[in-house]
Amino acid sequence: MSDPRQPRWEHDTETQLTSRQRLDRTARHLLPSVFTALVIIFFSAPVTVPGAAELLPAIVINTIFFWSVWRPSGMPSLAVFLLGLFMDLVGFTPLGVSAFILLLVHGIGSYARFGLMRMNFLVVWCLFGLVGAAAAALQWALACLFRLHLLDPAPAFFEALLCIGVYPLLSATFSWFLHILDEKDTP
Amino acid sequence: MVPVSIQVRQALSKLVLPVLLLMSVGIIIAGQADRPLADKARMRVADVLAPLWGLLSRTQTDSERFVHGIQEARNLAEENHRLSAENANLRRWYEVAVSLARENDALKTELHWVPEPTPAFVTGRVVADSGGIYARAVLLVAGTTSGVQVGNIALASSGLAGRVTEVGAHAARILLITDIASRLPVELESSHAAAIMVGDNSPLPRLLYYSQDTRPIEGERVVTSDQAGAFPSGIPIGSVHYLHPGQPVVQPFARLDRLTMLRVFDFGQSEIEPPEAPGHVPLTRPHRALTLPFKTLLGPGQEG
Repeated sequence: MSDPRQPRWEHDTETQLTSRQRLDRTARHLLPSVFTALVIIFFSAPVTVPGAAELLPAIVINTIFFWSVWRPSGMPSLAVFLLGLFMDLVGFTPLGVSAFILLLVHGIGSYARFGLMRMNFLVVWCLFGLVGAAAAALQWALACLFRLHLLDPAPAFFEALLCIGVYPLLSATFSWFLHILDEKDTP
Repeated sequence: MVPVSIQVRQALSKLVLPVLLLMSVGIIIAGQADRPLADKARMRVADVLAPLWGLLSRTQTDSERFVHGIQEARNLAEENHRLSAENANLRRWYEVAVSLARENDALKTELHWVPEPTPAFVTGRVVADSGGIYARAVLLVAGTTSGVQVGNIALASSGLAGRVTEVGAHAARILLITDIASRLPVELESSHAAAIMVGDNSPLPRLLYYSQDTRPIEGERVVTSDQAGAFPSGIPIGSVHYLHPGQPVVQPFARLDRLTMLRVFDFGQSEIEPPEAPGHVPLTRPHRALTLPFKTLLGPGQEG
């Protein structure tokens, strides 16, 4: 069926790429997912970072939200799903819970991205705070559901606060990174 | 790639997220329905990642040791004074210990004491803190190849740390005593009263179900009890502390937030079966054979 002479509809982006450029682009697309996977591995090792258990979901939610809003090509749904599953397998959460929560965050991020991109940083931060708090609350609710026991909500609060607090730092880092990538793209 | 129209492509890309969401819900349900399968998948991932975690934790201990070495070099003289004083003190205690051990030996010989079997143990490095917000567990690089079995007991240098709950070929998961799923029969050392130590994911597990006439005393040592047959008695766990009046908790001796090495002991508790007590024969007519094994008479929880 595929006829090489027939112009494909993404003709302008795909045909002039050399193999090196293609490799470069693939690496660029995989970078956020690989970063997140490394963060998960690092934080599941017995590191002496205070609050590591709460910091890990906070960082992962931040990363996924940021890339879903600003560069969805770097964080496709499948990658989010696999990362969530990996987090569940490495950790002790019931299988699939993190995948579900992260997919929801990703869905909200990519659904609202055109609205969010036009907004002030502070507004985006506030909205993200709501998303992070909701994710932490959902995690708490699911944990309660599976244990059939009302658990202490304090860690969820702590996680939500960390999630909100870490956002400016990670956002600045990722924005700087995106800036570098874009500069490289248009010499 | 199969050429499809833009509309179909867009529709498909919109479908991906809902399908993945449904899949994750399916996985949640499947994981709840078939827990052994989920645990097996977990242990397989842990087996693969164990060397990586080992590398990470080793790098960390090395760098910590380096920093610690530099700090130590600064107050060597002071430390030396303190140590020599302590050494003199300990030498006195050594003499006392030797004489006591000798006396103990002599008394045991007098009494024809049956020596307890020395339990077999393996030592492993803790490579991963696999608990999240709602769980407390660690992963140890020692699996079935080194003889670790489910139900073995993990001790830190200073006290009980937890029990082995899942075993892979090269890794074992240890549920710490602080986890919410952990409930241990314990004994208060000075009063010999029984209680249950219940973890709640906080660093201090609570003491419950102690009898009201022998309440735990602040600072009292808490040791394991062999009531359910899962633990040998007398393994030190921690000391009693009152957070609020009427709410005793246990301060574990083991530093559960920064475990590096754990010893896993196989006490072989399941092999020890109490002899059949003649007083516990069920009331049946003499000519009828007993249908129930004697084990069922031992009360709930005895089978471990």
